[in-house]
Amino acid sequence: MISPYLTNLAVLILIYIILSVSLNLALGYTGLLNLGHVAFFAIGAYTSALLTKAGYPFVFAFIASGIVASLFGFLLVLATRRLKGDYLALATLGFSYVCYAVLLNWSSLTRGPLGIAGIIKPNIFGWQIHSTGEYAMYALIVCIISIMIMMWIVRSPFGRLMQALRDDELGLRVLGKNTYRIKLKVMGISAFFAGIAGSLFAHYLTYIDPSSFILSEIILMITIVIAGGLASIRGSIVATGIILLIPELLRFIQLPSSVLGPLRQMLYASILIIILMFRPRGIFGRVDLE
Amino acid sequence: MIFSQLIVNSIIIGSIYALVASGFSLIYATNKYMHFAHGVAIALAAYIVYFLSLHISFPIACILTILLSGCFGVAMHRCIYLPLQKRGASTVILLIASIAMLIFFENLIQLIFGADVKTIRILEVTRGIDFFGAVVTPLQFIIVLVSLIIFAALFMFMKFTVLGRNMRAVADNKELASIVGINHARVADYSFFIGSCLAGVAGILIGMEQNLTPLMGTMLIIRGFTGAVVGAVEVVAGAIVGSYILGFAENFGVWYLPSGYKDAIAFILLFIFLLFKPHGIFGIEKGVKK
Amino acid sequence: MSLSIKHITKHFGGIHAIDNCSMEIEEGKITAIIGPNGSGKSTLFNMISQLIDEDHGTIEYKGKQISKLRDFEVARAGISRTFQEVRLFQNLTIKEHLEIDLGENDESLWRSLLLPEKVSKMVIQEILETIDLKKPEFTLATDLSYGQRKLLDLGIALASSHTILLLDEPVAGVNPALREQIKKVLKRLNSAGETILLIEHDMNFVMDLAHTIIVLDAGKVIAHGTPKEIQKNKAVLDAYLGE
Repeated sequence: MISPYLTNLAVLILIYIILSVSLNLALGYTGLLNLGHVAFFAIGAYTSALLTKAGYPFVFAFIASGIVASLFGFLLVLATRRLKGDYLALATLGFSYVCYAVLLNWSSLTRGPLGIAGIIKPNIFGWQIHSTGEYAMYALIVCIISIMIMMWIVRSPFGRLMQALRDDELGLRVLGKNTYRIKLKVMGISAFFAGIAGSLFAHYLTYIDPSSFILSEIILMITIVIAGGLASIRGSIVATGIILLIPELLRFIQLPSSVLGPLRQMLYASILIIILMFRPRGIFGRVDLE
Repeated sequence: MIFSQLIVNSIIIGSIYALVASGFSLIYATNKYMHFAHGVAIALAAYIVYFLSLHISFPIACILTILLSGCFGVAMHRCIYLPLQKRGASTVILLIASIAMLIFFENLIQLIFGADVKTIRILEVTRGIDFFGAVVTPLQFIIVLVSLIIFAALFMFMKFTVLGRNMRAVADNKELASIVGINHARVADYSFFIGSCLAGVAGILIGMEQNLTPLMGTMLIIRGFTGAVVGAVEVVAGAIVGSYILGFAENFGVWYLPSGYKDAIAFILLFIFLLFKPHGIFGIEKGVKK
Repeated sequence: MSLSIKHITKHFGGIHAIDNCSMEIEEGKITAIIGPNGSGKSTLFNMISQLIDEDHGTIEYKGKQISKLRDFEVARAGISRTFQEVRLFQNLTIKEHLEIDLGENDESLWRSLLLPEKVSKMVIQEILETIDLKKPEFTLATDLSYGQRKLLDLGIALASSHTILLLDEPVAGVNPALREQIKKVLKRLNSAGETILLIEHDMNFVMDLAHTIIVLDAGKVIAHGTPKEIQKNKAVLDAYLGE
């Protein structure tokens, strides 16, 4: 059988594929400067964990994790509707930090820094998942379905509107399109899938705490999206694989984990800077980051 | 008693945040993009002075640290921001790049110095002095005093020196400034140098007052940035005032909010201002977005 | 029925960009608004499109109060416009631009995913022929020349369902041959019944094109009449030469 190490890596890559493609939907296809995508991931993870702990069926919790996250997506668009550029980006960053702070401090709900342990393994209409291998299969199915849905959206007439919005929002408005509504829908979709990814994450690790959802996680997601190329689903998928694999190569050099952690972050940051400097379109992007 | 202690604490922490914000705001005002890595310039300064003071005399360590901090700023400008600008990067890209730099150097600090908390043992731990019913240590007096002196010096520099005037010209209108013969790349260098020297001073003082952790830069830049937004990001005086306001908000805020939320106060305040008054109390309302 | 602009005023700071302007735009005719740079022509358009709020006055179109609508609702009311600086979607193809215009289902996610696209290829071809844009429909907007972008801009304004066309400097910066081509297209459109309101600051272009000319200077209407009347109007010549 495939080694547990590789299976573990596969699950993480599948989760991050969903995260990066959903971010690309908002950032690359629609031009929504959302630096707070981590928040949706966190909300999805906690929603799924808490609901299953409260006894709700897994499938319900899974769907709910997406829906609750997308509600927050709507909220974010509503809250930031008058902001542009830097201020918008920073407000979304601030949103994800407020979310982190709430997760850390609302102990009665989230158990604060202690996190939530003993999260159950998924049970989908009778299919009880036990092993990591089975989980990887489950994650693969979720990932494939999610990607297919997002691709379908992007290739539809609505997808055209998304890209037009990115290219010239005002131009789209004078054609009679309600761009605010479009943004709400896009963010809702983007957040939904990030929430689903959060559920995948929570039930895989069976333990979550706020530290998995700190601000710097967004750098990894942004790096993947930009490296793969804005407005390229294929790019995000490929880039996720590559960028998550690179630090794994470091494992062959026997380094202590206290070194690996920071080194990995430095690696992600460097990759991002290098891409911005030398190939801002990334591997498959046809669109410039404006 | 408690009331006066809260006021004194607010002023002390306000001074610290104002030191952070003033450098950040100076750089933003001159260059019109956000240099988030300013936070890590402060952290680097704290760690460098910690390291140097173990080997050479403290005053010399301080001078070296301040100069090195200034150079760090210029290096960031010349190696990262300017090349990106030459490739047509927007302010959002520069913002993302600066966050990447922040994360890169913070992790470098963690790699080199470890994640454990460090202290700078230069001043003996003395008992605080009674000041109108509040307890203030000599170091804290020095912090407030030095801050006020620096702010006054900064104000006079901007108003009365040639370089200061040039910086204000570039801040106002870059193209016009070039036409008049001002080399704005050079002026930008100076803004980074001076702003980052301020970061150096901040790093030394904060390093002595609070302990050193690798993530201190992020925490400080969030506070400094919030102070700047509250006052007005592009008006240095406004950033300073805004930082004191934040200091008061944090100290008095914990009366109403659970103490764990103290960290979140900055972000909550930031979020509120970004949504309702992004140009700050003293900023210029530029144009109406319908 | 027509576009009715009544006592519109707009200040920016201390300047009156538009000062108590009133005009009636007749249906089925070509009306040109001309005037020196800075006379407020684009500002007027922006107020009609509700991109800027008017300080005083009202704008009515076909009996409806435009002033209360939001910008995208104005477009849905039948007012289709172009911008002086051509606004296209850089990363979209010619075909996609027109599909957005003609598409009815695209804003609804469900309908967009589940119903087949109803945009007729023929209609797209017709529009491309009307504006005489000789470029394959899968060309990206960013790959078009300036003149071709101007044409596509016009095509997009045409494609969306509209009852009046507002064109902001449709021939600015365009070579003489293309100017004539566009003038022909506009004449053809008008004889097919299109109401056209255009902004131009080149008097010569509009002289043999427009039925009515309105002249703006410093935010005020200083003349309103047929091309012949305007040509003889001293105030107009002063406005253009006396700057």
